[in-house]
Amino acid sequence: MRVQHISKHIHHKPILADIDFSVEPGSIIGIVGRNGSGKTTLLRSLAGILTPTRGSIYIDGLDIFKHPEIKKQIIFVPDSTEALKNYSTKELIYLYKNIYPEFDTSYLFSLMKRFKLSQISKIGNYSKGQKALFTLITAFATGASYILLDEPTDGLDVIVKKQVLQLLVEEVSDRRLAVLISSHRLDELEFMVNEVIFIKQGKVDSHYELDTMKNEYKKIQLAFAEKMPETLKDEVEILDKTGKVYTVLIPRGNIPLEEKISESMPLFYEELPMSLEDYFVAKLGGPNDV
Amino acid sequence: MFNKALWFQNYKQSKFLIWILLALFVVQMPLQAILSVESWQERSERTTYSEEYVYEVQAWDVMQIFSQGMFTVFLAAAIVIFASLLIGLERNTRRSDFTFSLPYSRSSLFLAKWALGSTAVSVFFIMNFLPAYFIIYQSEFREALSLVSSIEIFWAPLLGYIFFFSFSLLVGSITGEMVSQIILTFIFGFLPIIVFRLVQEFMQVHDFFLFHIGSEPQWIEYATPFLYAAGSMGSLPGVIAAVLFTAVCLWGGTVLYTKNNLEYNGEFLMFKKLNPVLVVLLTVMISFFGGMIVSSLAPWGADALRILSYWIGFTTFMLFALLIIRRLIKMNIIFSGKAV
Repeated sequence: MRVQHISKHIHHKPILADIDFSVEPGSIIGIVGRNGSGKTTLLRSLAGILTPTRGSIYIDGLDIFKHPEIKKQIIFVPDSTEALKNYSTKELIYLYKNIYPEFDTSYLFSLMKRFKLSQISKIGNYSKGQKALFTLITAFATGASYILLDEPTDGLDVIVKKQVLQLLVEEVSDRRLAVLISSHRLDELEFMVNEVIFIKQGKVDSHYELDTMKNEYKKIQLAFAEKMPETLKDEVEILDKTGKVYTVLIPRGNIPLEEKISESMPLFYEELPMSLEDYFVAKLGGPNDV
Repeated sequence: MFNKALWFQNYKQSKFLIWILLALFVVQMPLQAILSVESWQERSERTTYSEEYVYEVQAWDVMQIFSQGMFTVFLAAAIVIFASLLIGLERNTRRSDFTFSLPYSRSSLFLAKWALGSTAVSVFFIMNFLPAYFIIYQSEFREALSLVSSIEIFWAPLLGYIFFFSFSLLVGSITGEMVSQIILTFIFGFLPIIVFRLVQEFMQVHDFFLFHIGSEPQWIEYATPFLYAAGSMGSLPGVIAAVLFTAVCLWGGTVLYTKNNLEYNGEFLMFKKLNPVLVVLLTVMISFFGGMIVSSLAPWGADALRILSYWIGFTTFMLFALLIIRRLIKMNIIFSGKAV
């Protein structure tokens, strides 16, 4: 899938600006950003629901807006089952079989059995967790190559969340699918994604492979006899401050800055493991940004 | 247009109305035919006791069963709601995200809705027309059927309903949600007659005549979509107009639906450029209506007072209209449903 320079204006305001990236089979990409940064708009555009003001989305070289039949390779799983809640499982299977020629009913039943989901007369009657699992399972059964998930674990309990995430990882590795996930839950994304796209004010702020990204910054804990020198404060990203102990992020390999820290004679200096959340705070804004 | 999945999806979201439509057709035609034959018999028997009075079934009596009367109004209303379930409600809820993410062109999505509605209307109409016709044919009032033409009782109502359904879908292709689709279908459905009446009243109050005041000219009737569903177009030109207008609505609806920007789902109109046009149109109409209402309270002889009250009503209604319509245009109704 090639997302080529898409921009989207809504009510004359730019919501997405010049978004450009590619999605390769076998990858799980996390789309991360603050509230209102344009994550859902991006996913809805990728599914062909919203028409970009500029740019387009291509699958196998075909523009999805000019060749909508190519969207058989995409399935969008929104954060609500509103559209399907009145269907019975049997009806939904009938519907999907007619939409997606590669829909695999036996595979669907095997996954339903695995997660103890019985056939039901109204999908809306499943519990919240069951609905999440069922929509995810049906999405995988369609045989689509690109699965677009909008906040897939929002509001789920820990057990179901674990099942959902495990299923995702298994499917991607077994079937060479590409999954794009928009989520606020950075701890969950960290568990499964191999690429992260940071969206800031409708633009791709950065697009990294997870491992590369973690090597870009260094998370350290520092303690000073008094407070941190003002000259240092301007150059580091303070993640946390408890008394005289600071947790900061600094760009890895910035030798002059490391020397400056060392010259400021910290009482304590320790490197901590980086998390996606640390990177998110560093990249997408400080505590005063909403 | 005849994609099985889209047929099923559209049926699923409108089946409630489809069965109501069937029930209305059953009551309108076969049931009304049985009851009418019974009442004609009763009236006919009563005339045997009176030498001066002979009872004859009129063409009007037959048309009440097939193409006119209050059931056509109920059916027109049901057709508008049917169209609004297919487009408007989809926009109010998050179902349109599902629909537009499917691997079909937007024109196929629109045409599938039209095909389902037109087929339901046609099948229900025909399957109720035949028994109703047979009931009258086998009764002693068989001759009454010769008083009406096939255009009056079959083609005009059938094509009229299909046109009105296509018109409702066309309105749905420019509106952002269910309520605005219903409101605008009714307003535009009567628009030529409403405008004519308002202008007529304006001229009468001001004693200033741009054209002869009388009953509506024929072209106004041809231009009023609602009259097609109400069975008032029982003539060959009416049937031809219904077919032509259906084609126009289908083409226009498909083009507009294809150009829909779904981010405006839930708002009054999908096309923001139409907002000022709609604000002006509705404000002017409501203002003229206000003038008409208030001036009707003034005594007939007091011309100056009638003109004064006309403009008081006009201004008052205009202010209210501006306030209400501006809010209406800015509204956003989305039932987003719970997450997951």
